[in-house]
Amino acid sequence: MYSSATDPGISVFCCTGCETVYQLLQSTGLTAYYDLRDRAGGETKRVSETIPDLRYLDDPTFREKFEKQLDGLKRPEMDFFVEGVHCAACIWLIEKLPDLVPGVESCRLDFGRSVATIRLKDRGLFSEAAQKLFWLGYRPHAIADDNEAAELKKKENRAWLTKIGVAGACTGNIMLLAAALYSGVEEPYANIFRWLSGLLFAPVLFYSASSFFWNSVSALRSRSLSIDVPVFFAIVFGSAVSVWNLQTAGAHIYFDSLAMLIFLLLASRYTLRRIQQKNLGGSHLYHFIAPSRAKRFNAANGECSFVNADVLVAGDILIVEDGEVFPVDGRVIEGASHVNLALLTGESNLQKIGPGDSVFAGTVNQGTALKVHTVKVGKQTRFGQILAQIEAGEMTKTPIVMAADRVAKWFLAAVCLIAVGVFWLTPGFDAALSRSLALIIVTCPCALALATPLAMSLALKNASKNGVLIHNAEVIERLSKVRNVLFDKTGTITQGKYQVLDWATDWGAFASVASVVRALEQKSKHPVALALVEYLDSRSPAGIDGSATIALVEQFEERLGIGVSGYVGDQYCEVRALPEQAEQVEASLQTTKQPVTRVGVFMNKKLVARIALGDGVRPGAADAIRALQSTGHRAFLVSGDSVETCTVVGRSVGLPQGQIFGRLSPEQKADLAGKLNPCALVGDGANDALGLKVASVGIAVHGAVDISLRVAGVYVSKPGLDYVSGLFRLAHGTMVLIRRNFAFSLAYNVAAGALAISGHMTPLLAALFMPVSAFTVFASTLYSSQKNEKIAFKKMQLEART
Amino acid sequence: MTILAILMPLALLLSFSFTAVYFWSVWRGQYDDLETPAHRILLEDEQEGKIS
Repeated sequence: MYSSATDPGISVFCCTGCETVYQLLQSTGLTAYYDLRDRAGGETKRVSETIPDLRYLDDPTFREKFEKQLDGLKRPEMDFFVEGVHCAACIWLIEKLPDLVPGVESCRLDFGRSVATIRLKDRGLFSEAAQKLFWLGYRPHAIADDNEAAELKKKENRAWLTKIGVAGACTGNIMLLAAALYSGVEEPYANIFRWLSGLLFAPVLFYSASSFFWNSVSALRSRSLSIDVPVFFAIVFGSAVSVWNLQTAGAHIYFDSLAMLIFLLLASRYTLRRIQQKNLGGSHLYHFIAPSRAKRFNAANGECSFVNADVLVAGDILIVEDGEVFPVDGRVIEGASHVNLALLTGESNLQKIGPGDSVFAGTVNQGTALKVHTVKVGKQTRFGQILAQIEAGEMTKTPIVMAADRVAKWFLAAVCLIAVGVFWLTPGFDAALSRSLALIIVTCPCALALATPLAMSLALKNASKNGVLIHNAEVIERLSKVRNVLFDKTGTITQGKYQVLDWATDWGAFASVASVVRALEQKSKHPVALALVEYLDSRSPAGIDGSATIALVEQFEERLGIGVSGYVGDQYCEVRALPEQAEQVEASLQTTKQPVTRVGVFMNKKLVARIALGDGVRPGAADAIRALQSTGHRAFLVSGDSVETCTVVGRSVGLPQGQIFGRLSPEQKADLAGKLNPCALVGDGANDALGLKVASVGIAVHGAVDISLRVAGVYVSKPGLDYVSGLFRLAHGTMVLIRRNFAFSLAYNVAAGALAISGHMTPLLAALFMPVSAFTVFASTLYSSQKNEKIAFKKMQLEART
Repeated sequence: MTILAILMPLALLLSFSFTAVYFWSVWRGQYDDLETPAHRILLEDEQEGKIS
C-alpha cells in the first residue's frame, strides 16, 4: 500500500492496484484519504486485481428483488454490504462515490453494519457504482431488501427510545417537585406538588413501564419467573401505596423513586440490547456459503448473462466455468469435467462427471465449462441444509447455560420470598416497604441469565470467524475439560498428500528439466503428477520459465504404477518410478528419514534428475503440539500406519515414545479414545468417524463438513494444527470467563442484598447499583471474549496477513 | 409564592416542548445509526465546486 502520505515525491506502492487508486484519488483531488488513513491508523487492505462483471446488478428481475421498495422514494436505492471498511477514511472515500460515478446521487455508509446505501440519478447504473467501489478496494455485496424485518427493527428501536424519553422527562420533573417537598414546602402547595408528581408519574407507569407488565404476563403464563415479575409487582405495589397516601393526604409517596427506577431499568436494558444485537446479529456462516453470482443461459436467445445466485430458480440453465463453485444443486446437461467433492464427501481426489450426473452447490468444477440444469437452490441444496443444521445446533442450550437458567429462576423465587419476609418482619410500614423494594431492585441474576449465553455465542462467533466451525456451545464446555489430545497421523500431522521432498538435477539445467516434467505431468491426474506440478508452480510460477506455452507432448503414454512418457520436441522423455537403491537420494534424506517414493526423469533414456516425494509433516505441527503440552495436555499419535513410520513422524513433532501408537484399526483407535477420555481426537472426518464419536470431543481437520459435524464437535476448515491448539485456548478462556462472571454475580448479590435487608440501601440507590453491576458483567464479557480470540488465533491472523 | 402559579405551568410546558423535540428527532431517524456520524464529523467538508 501507499506508504508516504506527506510527500508525493517519494511515493512507494506495493502493487499497481494501489498506484491506480492513488492516481485516481489525485486526479479527483481526494488524496486527503491518505492523511486520514494514516491518522486513523487503519490496516492496509488487499486490492483485488480484477474487477468482476457486475452487470447483473442492472438486471430488472434482480433490481425488483433487491431495490428498496419504500413509499415516497423517488430515486432507486439499494443496500450493499461492503467488505473492508475499518476506519474513518473508508467512510470518507465511500461517501465520495457521487464524485467518482456521475450516475450516483448519494452514498451513505452505516459504519457499524458496513452497509452502504447507494441512491442513483435518473440514468445511473448500480453496476457502475458497485464496480467503482470494488475498484477502490471495497468488495460490495447487494443485500436483498428485507423491508419488513428491517423496518420492524427500526420501529422497535425508536419505540424504546420514546419510552425512555418519556420516563426521563417525567422523572426529572418529579425529582424537582420531590426536592421541594423534602425541603418543606408549605401546605397548599405541598398538596398540589404531590398531585402533580402523581400526574407526571402516570405516563411513566402506563406507557414506559408497559413492557414490564407484558413480559411478566408472558412469563407467568408459561409458569416461570423472569426478572420482570418481581420488578413489576414492586412497581405496582409501590404505586398503589402512593396513590392511597395521596388520597388520604398521607405523608409518604414514592413516585420519585419508582419513576427513577423505571427510567434506569429501561435505559440499562436498552443499552444491553444494543450490545447484544451488535454482537450476535447476522449469520456468521456467511463465509462458507456458495458464490453469490451465476452465469445464466437464456435458451430463448442463446445468450448468457450474469445474475445473482439468489434469484436463481429450479429449471434455470447455468454455465459453470472451470474453477468456479457450483451455485446450485443440479444435473449436468452438457460437457464433461472433474469435480472436487471434498466439502461434501471428504474425497479429495477429483471425480469425473458427465451429462446426467448430479452436481452440488459448494463444490468446485475443475476441468472444463459445464452446462447445468438447476434442481435445487439456496437453502434446499445439500450444502444449504447442512449450514441450516449447524445454525440450528448453535441455538440449543448447553448444560452450563441451562444450569445458569435454573439457578436464575430459583434465585428470583428466593428473592421474592425474602422480600415478602423482610416486609412482614421489619417494624414500621415505611421502612419495611423501602427495604423490600430495595432488595427486589438491587438483586440481579444477569450474570447468570444473560452473560453466560453471551460469552458462549461470542466464542462460537470468534471461532467461525477464524475458520473453525463449532457444532454448538456445549462443545466448548467439553473442550475445556479435555486432558488428552489424540492426533491421527495421515492428513492431520502430515500433509496427507505427496510433496516433493528433494530434487537433484544430475545433468543439464533445472529449467529445462522442469519444463519437460511440467509438460508430461500436466497431462496426468496421478497424485505424484499433481505434487510435481504444484512443486514446479511454487518454484517458478507459470510464465516465468516460459511455461505459459507448455511444451507440446507427442505420443503421450501413462502406465499405471510406473510413470508417464512421451516425445517433447525430438527427445523421448520419461518420468517414472526409480528402483529402491537410489543411494544418493537416500543420503540427502538422512535427516528426515521419512518413507519416500523416488521418481527419476529420463531424457533419451539418460537419467537427468532424481526426485524424492513423500508425505511431509505439516509446517507448524511441532509448535502446535508443544503449545498444547505447555497448557497441560498430553498429546498422542494414533495411526493405522506402520509403527516405524509413526515413530519417525511422532518423534519429529516432539512426542515421547510411550504416546505413539501405530498399527491401530479404526476400532482400536476408538477403544483407545474411550480409555483416555476425557480426550479429543483430531482426525479425518470420514476415516476416523468412529473414534471422533467416542472421544469426548471430535475435531475433524479434513473431510466433508456435514459428515464430520455429524460425528465431530468441531470442524477446522483451514489447514494447520495451530487452529487446534488455538481452539483449546479459546475454550479454556471462555470457561474461565463464565466462572468469573458467576463469582462476581454471587459476591455482588450477597453484598447488595445484605445491605438492602439491613436498611442501608434506599430503593433509589438500588436502582443506581443494579445497572452498574449489569454493565460490569457485560463489559468484562465483551472485553475478555475479544482477548480470548486474540490469545487463540492472533498468530494465524498475523500469518494470513503476510 | 403566587409566582409558583405561573412558574409551574411554564416549567411543565418547557419540559413538554423538549420532550416533543426529542420525539421528533427519534422518529426522524437521528438515533438509528449512532456510529457513523461520530466518524463523519472528523471529515472536513470540501468547498463547493472543488471536486467535480
